[in-house]
Amino acid sequence: MNSLKQTSQWRVVAASVCGKSHQQKQQLCQDAHAWQILPDNILIAAIADGAGSASMGKIGAIVAAQTAVANICAGTVTRRILDDDTSVRLLLIEALVAAKQAVMEEAIACEKQIHDLATTLIVLIATPEMVAAAQIGDGVAVVKDFAGNVFALTQPQNGEYINETTFLVSPDAINTAQLRLLRQVIVNVALLTDGLQMLALNMDSGTPHQPFFTPLFKFISDVNDKSDGVNQLVSFLRSERICDRADDDLTLLLADISN
Amino acid sequence: MNDTLRLDEIVEFAENPEPRCPCVLLIDTSGSMQGGSIEALNEGLWSFKNDLKKNSLAARRVEVGIITFDSEINLIQNFVTADQFEPPRLTANGLTNMGAGIHKALDMVQARKSEYRTNGIAYYRPWVFMITDGEPQGELDQVVEQATRRLHDDEANKRVAFFTVGVENANMTRLSQISVRTPLKLNGLNFTEMFLWLSASMTAVSYSKVDEQVALPPVGWGSI
Repeated sequence: MNSLKQTSQWRVVAASVCGKSHQQKQQLCQDAHAWQILPDNILIAAIADGAGSASMGKIGAIVAAQTAVANICAGTVTRRILDDDTSVRLLLIEALVAAKQAVMEEAIACEKQIHDLATTLIVLIATPEMVAAAQIGDGVAVVKDFAGNVFALTQPQNGEYINETTFLVSPDAINTAQLRLLRQVIVNVALLTDGLQMLALNMDSGTPHQPFFTPLFKFISDVNDKSDGVNQLVSFLRSERICDRADDDLTLLLADISN
Repeated sequence: MNDTLRLDEIVEFAENPEPRCPCVLLIDTSGSMQGGSIEALNEGLWSFKNDLKKNSLAARRVEVGIITFDSEINLIQNFVTADQFEPPRLTANGLTNMGAGIHKALDMVQARKSEYRTNGIAYYRPWVFMITDGEPQGELDQVVEQATRRLHDDEANKRVAFFTVGVENANMTRLSQISVRTPLKLNGLNFTEMFLWLSASMTAVSYSKVDEQVALPPVGWGSI
């Protein structure tokens, strides 16, 4: 119990771990995440998942996630600016464009084809009063509001086949990106790559499985020591229960602003 | 107040049906396959099953169906998940109604996709794996032509991934005309190695993320 009244601050715990299947094939983990907190309680975050078939998917994911966050943070981002829907939309799209450009430049620098760095990307901007996301590909952004409702802000994008999705480097990716904006008092945000989808979502309805998120949101609100929090999250993602159901690389980013 | 339970003890998982990875084995059981070939193939089927079972996710996701073609077409095994698959003991006799066999395999794939969609089950691109030691024989040319056209159209539209393996005296030239993907010639009767490759491939597909193509393990059991 806090006896002092404090201004609530974003707290973030995130981890990316390598999937069993990639470990077995001695491939690198291809998931990445990045985040930054700006003054006035503005959270900028991104997660990315490199395509399994892309020889440098890992690099693509890292470049995409880091560039997206850096691009938004380099500009002027204030609560006032975020009050305007068009400005929010612009910030997100510019982040996607910058990420794609950076991935293309990396491909050239490494003398590879752009599809060798194929990756999905989810970019998030959140304050205590709003949350906005841009998403290319699968994975999902989940939000919990002040009333305790947990719902999906975005939906995993798949083709006919479960393993088909759009990548940042796909021709029409930015034009067809999901853009979502919600103006509501929120307390939690979670970003996950597709490795956790089957465990976290009811796939037929695309709704979050409440008993998956509730303990995780409680965990992040209780965390005091950040590195301990990350260790616990990593242990969770590497636990037998998870590995039995998920072979893929896993990324989970949890954010809390409840206390 | 610290929570002494670990996260993996308190976080509950959603119950979703596993996505399915359907694989049709389309097998030539014509007279020429009698003896060594069909025996080796039967053994290979056991290797296939046992290898798939080793990976718990693949065992739940890969679905195996078997169709044989000789003078008739027989549905030997309707789709069943790998962990439930009991290999049949195939025998060989008769001609080679390959065109009709291809139609049946494509029908089977189409019907399965429809069932998946009706039941809200996610799926990967289905595979058909055709094994033959000859070429179409005993059918009208137009049946074979129609099957070929249908197969080419299905591949172009990514409805299926169709692989052809030629054994012994298979007419590889004829098979290259029917199949879109280059047929592979099996080394000797190395069915076991071929089936192990197939199992590894299906396992790779069953947890892959792809744009175009899954990276398949190298083929050590056959050649182009």
